Amino acid sequence: MVYTPYDFNESVRHRTEYIEERLRDGSPVAGISYDGGVLLLTLRRTQRKIFEIYDRLMFAGLGNQSDLEIIRVGAIDFAHQEGYARSPDDVTIQRVVGFAISPGIKRAFGDVLNAPFVVRALFAEMGKTPEEDLFYTLNYDGEFVSLNWAAAVAGTPEAEEQMIRQLVPENAESAPDLQTALHRALRAWAAGRLWVIDAHLEEEGTESLSEERIASFLREQLQDLQVEAAILDRFTKRERKFRLLKEEEIRPVLPEG
Amino acid sequence: MGEYLSANRSGDFMALLRARGLWREPEAFAVRPSQPAVQEAHGTTVIALKYREGVLNVGDRRATAANAIMYDRAEKILPLDDYTLIAIAGSYARAMEIVRYLQHSFKYYARTQLQEMSLEGKLAEVSRALAGNLSMALQGIGLFIPVVSAYDLERGEGRIFFYDGMGARFESVEFGAAGSGSERIRGVFDYILKTKGAFHEMTLEEALRECLLLLDIAADLDSATAGIEKVLPIARAVTAEGILDIPEEQLAQMKESLRR
Repeated sequence: MVYTPYDFNESVRHRTEYIEERLRDGSPVAGISYDGGVLLLTLRRTQRKIFEIYDRLMFAGLGNQSDLEIIRVGAIDFAHQEGYARSPDDVTIQRVVGFAISPGIKRAFGDVLNAPFVVRALFAEMGKTPEEDLFYTLNYDGEFVSLNWAAAVAGTPEAEEQMIRQLVPENAESAPDLQTALHRALRAWAAGRLWVIDAHLEEEGTESLSEERIASFLREQLQDLQVEAAILDRFTKRERKFRLLKEEEIRPVLPEG
Repeated sequence: MGEYLSANRSGDFMALLRARGLWREPEAFAVRPSQPAVQEAHGTTVIALKYREGVLNVGDRRATAANAIMYDRAEKILPLDDYTLIAIAGSYARAMEIVRYLQHSFKYYARTQLQEMSLEGKLAEVSRALAGNLSMALQGIGLFIPVVSAYDLERGEGRIFFYDGMGARFESVEFGAAGSGSERIRGVFDYILKTKGAFHEMTLEEALRECLLLLDIAADLDSATAGIEKVLPIARAVTAEGILDIPEEQLAQMKESLRR
């Protein structure tokens, strides 16, 4: 059998369809800068989803759990060997995602004889000020994008757009406080999930993602799922800047009833 | 590229460094009893004392090379993580590298394995790092002695561990010390214990007073120890709330009160 460029295109198309089909149903992750650090938020059943990578780096994603795990440990390995061999200041999100992780993901995607990664991943790096915070989203084909202020990964690119609208409202000015950031991230999660689940939303338009609709969807989802939120704390004196938020810190932003 | 996606799953940071060729193995030369050619900087005196809330560590800030004073502001008391302090005396270069290794090793374990390394595991890791340093130490260079202070969250108390150069670990009941000055003041610890009572019942204020006095005496008796006069010592404590840095003003005040 001869392997032609046509076969390559065809196989990539199949793989893309297969991966995107599987990603659609994933639980989105919202990331946002706030005045005291960086926040990642998602909803989950049992498995933990947001992880510390290094002193000022954290990570979450949707897709195949074991693929996410490979990326997580790979990023931790790279970050720690660099931090030890050089200095913690030399461990940056750009090097971790761009140089250490993304080339391997791309190679796996192009290698038609092996299973590709089924992931959309979100990395966050805390800077000294919210302006210096950075987010990277990483797709299953190795493609990555860097963003300031907020970022999202969800089942489809359209759903991610809806999440960004919730995370960075038009009237938003400076970095929000933690409460506001939590509030926005939770609504962004709901908007991202709703956009994938509800086929009518695309016709009805973005305006139909009203506060009430989001709140009632969240109430429904919170029956089975729980909120997981983690921060990198800009002002802590502790060695570990990463911290999972406690239930009582999240409760005030949940919809009532 | 892409090598990072074939991960080391053991949580063992040394295994990772070895696999990537990044672990600096001490080189084994034939042991020569003569004076080593390299003059290394040495840290001098560090003291760890229990007190009510945990363990207080105080160290002078001098680093010496033979009889020359190399540096006046050496940091010899370093946090390994939020509940562990290490105080180092002896070879500064090797100690700093091992401390950096330990800091990364504890964090690496916690991040990859999604659970904290146990206190026992951390103490064994210190032993392993010291034992790995042995071939250098046998040649008369690179020898350093750590005192590890930890807040044991399970027992709810501060604990002090001291080591020998080969990595043997001992737990101390009340205090620990290392460095050239510590040998001179060994007996003073016991004198305080017998006349003033147990260190672990002291307040931070009282323990700090004893520490500064001990360092002052060490400086009087040991030429390599800087004491408290020229540059304030460094003081850190480990408690149930984590690491506590004793501010300079508090040290300056305490130093003044000792002079009266």
